[in-house]
Amino acid sequence: MNKTLIATALLLASTSLASAGGELFLYNWGNYTSPEMITKFEAATGIKVTITDFDSNDTALAKIEAGASGFDLVVPSAGFVSIYAEKGLIQKLDLARLPNHKNIAPEWMDVTWDAGREWSVPWQWGSTGMSVNTKVYTGDINTSAIFMEPPPELAGKINVVPEMGDVLALATMYEGGEVCSEDAEVMKKVRDALLAAKAKWIAMDYSTVEKMSNNDYAATVDWNGASMRSRLANPDVAYGYPREGFDLWMDNVVLLSDAKNVDSAYLFMDFIMAPENAAMLSAFARYANGISGSDAFMPADMKDAPEIVTPAEFAANGHFVLTCTGKALEYQTAIWTELQK
Amino acid sequence: MADRVPPRRNFSVTRLPGFGTIAVIVFLGLYTPIVTLVAYSFNGSESISQWGGFSLNWYGVAWGNQQVKDATLTSLVVATAAAAIATLVATMAALGTTRRRAVRGQTVIYALINQPLMVPEIVTAVALLIFFAMIRKATGYSGLGYLILAHSAFCIPFAYLPIRARLEGMDMTLETAAADLYASRWQTFRRVTLPLLMPAVFAGAMLAFVISLDDVVITEFIKSPGQDTLPTYMMGQLRRAMKPDVNAISAALLALTLVLLSAFFLLSRKRD
Repeated sequence: MNKTLIATALLLASTSLASAGGELFLYNWGNYTSPEMITKFEAATGIKVTITDFDSNDTALAKIEAGASGFDLVVPSAGFVSIYAEKGLIQKLDLARLPNHKNIAPEWMDVTWDAGREWSVPWQWGSTGMSVNTKVYTGDINTSAIFMEPPPELAGKINVVPEMGDVLALATMYEGGEVCSEDAEVMKKVRDALLAAKAKWIAMDYSTVEKMSNNDYAATVDWNGASMRSRLANPDVAYGYPREGFDLWMDNVVLLSDAKNVDSAYLFMDFIMAPENAAMLSAFARYANGISGSDAFMPADMKDAPEIVTPAEFAANGHFVLTCTGKALEYQTAIWTELQK
Repeated sequence: MADRVPPRRNFSVTRLPGFGTIAVIVFLGLYTPIVTLVAYSFNGSESISQWGGFSLNWYGVAWGNQQVKDATLTSLVVATAAAAIATLVATMAALGTTRRRAVRGQTVIYALINQPLMVPEIVTAVALLIFFAMIRKATGYSGLGYLILAHSAFCIPFAYLPIRARLEGMDMTLETAAADLYASRWQTFRRVTLPLLMPAVFAGAMLAFVISLDDVVITEFIKSPGQDTLPTYMMGQLRRAMKPDVNAISAALLALTLVLLSAFFLLSRKRD
């Protein structure tokens, strides 16, 4: 047993070496960071990047809030940026240290959660809409009726991703309400419609790419990048942008207040806003990046992909899904709980 | 010899009607998913459920992925350390609760030792998150120690239960005999109790190892930067497409477990 104890002690000692200069700790969604881009960054700067995964905004926030997390940069979704800021968990960016800040596309500069981009820089963005197998259903796919009032061809073959915010936003907009509505009448309609529609769903599951590619599902509420991957595997899959309103989301890089490697963090944020590097992120994660000029470096199969480049006729129907609070959140949670029974 | 055994002793579950059928169904249920998982780790396509020809490609991909290698190493180090600590503590606890006169409040002691089995994991996770954050702030230490300590704690009941069961099944005759022959208490333990207890200690250690290897919730909350274990790495992939490299990692771990188990089996058979 002595040997074990010594080994353990050695292990503890070796892993607690203080972080000297030239390190960076990134806390990001799993499987979301291009390893090629990290290698390029490390080669260019000599900074060693350590990536740690999270699987939900809530877990990430809980860990950061507990303090002494040891991370420098986090990549929360849009609705969470202001929560981090209000709680004093992130610091205002010194834009003078980010020469590539000017590359942020104009439409992503003055966003609702961060006017002027003084707290966060873009990582990836996308939309939530419908993936439909057009061999099974030939009608209009640009509508949330696909899952809210399924056509007979699709009944029993529809999946809905188990993501409360995204699904309830689509459903509320379909019923004519605002995202995060506090109107009891509207929310009651949303609830009744969802419960009625649920009888025609087959599952509430994340693995949409697999199941759409295999024709296990004929339609699903889906993210645009996932839909594109399904189409590449199964050409019958098409992505619909609901005209009643579809969700937009964006993940953003923020700098923690207690970051130890601030210099490395600025270098990294500036690095990912260079068009060729932003394109590397997109090539790996398969979503758009919000950096002007990155199109030229995008992989050929993404440049004109109808899932990645939102067609102009639908652009106006996209709405940012921020995190609802108060009464709206109460309604959503109640509906969601009932829906999952 | 044979006629000395009363006939009713010949009763065996294996001769009950339907035994074979039920056994086959159970084994199919247990092993079909694992066989499928291993089969698809040799898949040539990008899908985890659509066959695209035989290929070792995903083993190469997994091997080439630094994050996977780091996560595997973290998992193995944490599980080994936690299993060792948990088994040591559990053995002492089991001896303390069975090899001495029962004290008042024995049930409370059982409940305290087995607390991780009763308390929902998420509660422990959040409590540890806050507690360890305070220690982190005070000491600046962010090594693997937190994960090892937390894993040891929730692994203890899994090691404790088989060891206690074995001790309760062993009567004190041999130990009393050893004491009669002037063996000191330590000699008795070393030469009599421990050898008899060894199968249970191994069983407990292996259970603890597997339980630690498996944990997601507590690990997710208390891991420091760069301390992803295999389960948290796989969980992180859930929202994006899972690729067969996950199958390849799982198959490799399965192979490792089989090797360990066979080695253990062969070694213990030799000794007999």
